[in-house]
This record gives sequence, structure tokens and C-alpha cells, in this order.
Amino acid sequence: MELLDRYLQAVKKHLPWQRQDDIIAELKANLEAQLEDKEAALGRPLTNDEAMAWLKQLGSPVQMAAPYQAQQYLIGPAIFPTYRYVLQLACTWAVVINVVVIGVKLAFEENTSPAAWLEVLQHVPFTLLLTAAWVTLIFAAIEFAVAHSKTKWMPPAAPSASWSPVELPPLGEGGVAGKKPRSYSKAVAEVIFGFLFLIWLLLVPRYPYLWVGPGAPYLLASPFTFAPICVQFFWWVVVLNAFQLIWHCVDLLRGTWQRQQPVKLIVMKVFGLIPLTLLLNAPEHAIVLLKHPALDQARYGETLAQINKGLHQALTVLFVIVALLLAWDIGKMIVGLYRKRVAAMG
Amino acid sequence: MTIAENLFENLRLELRRGCLTLAVLAQLRQERYGYTLRKALAERGLEIDESTLYPLLRRLEAQGLLASEWREEEKRNKRFYRLSSDGEQIFDQLLKEWQAINTSINSIL
Repeated sequence: MELLDRYLQAVKKHLPWQRQDDIIAELKANLEAQLEDKEAALGRPLTNDEAMAWLKQLGSPVQMAAPYQAQQYLIGPAIFPTYRYVLQLACTWAVVINVVVIGVKLAFEENTSPAAWLEVLQHVPFTLLLTAAWVTLIFAAIEFAVAHSKTKWMPPAAPSASWSPVELPPLGEGGVAGKKPRSYSKAVAEVIFGFLFLIWLLLVPRYPYLWVGPGAPYLLASPFTFAPICVQFFWWVVVLNAFQLIWHCVDLLRGTWQRQQPVKLIVMKVFGLIPLTLLLNAPEHAIVLLKHPALDQARYGETLAQINKGLHQALTVLFVIVALLLAWDIGKMIVGLYRKRVAAMG
Repeated sequence: MTIAENLFENLRLELRRGCLTLAVLAQLRQERYGYTLRKALAERGLEIDESTLYPLLRRLEAQGLLASEWREEEKRNKRFYRLSSDGEQIFDQLLKEWQAINTSINSIL
């Protein structure tokens, strides 16, 4: 039957090339047997209209061929949850870093026009697109590698024998959903290393090699020195670290080291902004000074200006990032409290 | 097709999918080729489209549950399928599972 041959020819075009002939031979045998049965039941060959109706009932050539294709994914269900998580994370950070870096750069440029600021916003979709494209490309490559490897890969989220209910986050007030409880050993380590860090910090001004190592003699011999504002900065850092150490010790003694305390963490981050603010507000942005201005101004004045400008820019970027992280934490805490309240009401 | 009809159709297909595999494996305890298998299933009330059954046979064979061979019958080359030894074992397990589910569902209903 010519119409059946034409149908099979059309089906063949949509089949995987390695198995085309085999599949078509089998389909032909099955469909011809079916046709013979139909004709035997009617006692005559099918009319053209009947043949067309029959083939139509079988489905279009594409429909007939599609189930023979191996199931293919750009990113399969096994790795898709990881892909979505990484994509969200990468896009968020790419945009934040991009906007902060370009924004700070513009802020330091003289005579920045509104159009230049608009250009920063125009960068956002492009950054998002580029980041998403790279993440997708990497995961598509992983999917391809997994699909073509002989060994079966299990997604990290799959239940495994090594999983233990002990790893579940604790219930209770102040708990942060999804975070693992802090172990006792981690809490003890935080106290020990916090103490050692504080000792190290206090020794740094007296023994500069603890900070810059073999570069200490060069630092002493250089014509530059730190501005008095840096001393204030240093003591703020010391106080913050001492406060954190005391806090960890209290938690350990009270047996509350497992409990997440978002409010305390936010307070610490707010205080952490103070030393940065001090340096950013240094008179004339001077964080580094000349030891002997009268002697060295002519020779090192320009270098000094560049060092202070670079430091100020770097500190601004750091401040913006810390402030954004803080805003993120506060937002998360507010959303958590709101959800808790809604759940309590409902 | 309304949303309700579409939902029903999706659930119906989902319900049928596993049952079809079991029915095909059961029928292939005896050697058959595609068309006679389809007829045998239809005679017992289980109609399956050609575009579903024939690719399913290929998949089951690729999974090692079926064995096949080309043979001439009535002056035509046909591909005959039957349960492989692995397929027999899996079929026995699936059958027990099916019977347990069936008993449970009947008691629930």
C-alpha cells in the first residue's frame, strides 16, 4: 500500500538514525498485519478514504516516532533543584557585585551625569543574562557528562544511608530554618580561636611582623605611617572581638551554643559597620600619612594620595557589601517573624 | 478539553502507565510479535495505541526484561518478543506488588 509506505517514510525521518531501519521494518510488519486483518474483516481492500482515516488514527509521523527517541534533557530532574539554587545565588550575587563595583567607581568619578547612573541599571539585565547563560551551560555540560557516563549518578539531595536525623535543625524559638545546629566542638573551637585571635590582635601593634611577616622592616623603614584614626579603628576591632568572645563563652557556659540567635548576629554586624565608618570618615580620606611630611611631601605626596584614594574606594565597596548583607539578614528575620505570626494566627 | 477533563486524562494516563507494563510482561510469557500482542491485549479489554506499545517493547528490551528475534512467519519478517529470564523474575515481583496494591485498594474502596 503506497500510502502506508509514504507514512513509514515520513516516520523514518523522525527516528534515531542508528535504529531507523530496524524500527521501520518492525512497524511495517505490524501495520501490514493490522491492514490485512482490516481488509479480511471487510472482505475487500481499504478505500483511499478508509486508509487515510486509519493512518490518521495512528497519529502523525512525528507523534508515532517521538516515543522511540531517548528522553533527553538539557538539565534533568536529578540536578535541576541544584541548578535552580545555584542560578538564584549566582544571579543575585552577580547583580549585587556588579552594581556595587560600578556604582562605587562612578561615585568617585568627577562630574558623573544621571545618564551614567542609568547605564549602571542598564547593565543589570545583561549581567543577569550572562550569569544565567554560564550557569546553564555548566549544568548542561554536567547533565551531558552524567547522561553519557556508564555509572549512574545520584543527586546530592537523594536520601542516603549516611543521612542521620541528628543533622536536622533544632526546633524552638530563635531557630533559623534550614541551618544546622552548632556542634559543641565547633562552639569550643570558636572560643579557643577567638581567644588566640584576640591575643594576636593585641600583639600586632608591638610586633608588626605578626601582621606583615618578613615585610615588617620595610614597613618600619617606609616613609608612610597610619593616621591616628587607625588607632581608633584598631580598638573598635579589639572591643568587637572581645565582645564576641565573651558572648561565645556565655553561650558555652549556659549550654545554649546550639541555638541560633539572629538578633544578636545582626547587632554584631551593625557594630561591625562602626570601625568601617570611622575609616571612611577619616579627615580628607587620609588613612595613611607621611612620617615626615615636610621632607617627603614632594617625593611621595602623589603616591600617598593614590594609596589613600585606593583604600577609600576599597573600604567603600566593603562597606556597601557588609551593609547589603546586613539588610539581607534583617529582611530574612522580618520575613521569618511575619511568617511565624501568620502561622500563629492561622 | 476543559481543565477538569485534562486533569482526569493526565491522572488516567498516569494510572495506566504502570499497569500497561505489567500487562505487556504478562502477555509475553508467551512469545508474540507486536501486532498479535496488541490484539491479545485489546481482546482482554486493554487497548493500547501503536505509538505507545511498540516503543514500550523496545524500552523493555533495552532494560533486559524482554528478548527478541526476527523470524519469518506467513512470508513476512516479524520481530517476536518474549520475557527474558531477568524479565520473569521482575514480572513475578511486580505481580506480587500489584496483587498487594489491588487488595489494599479494594479494601479501602
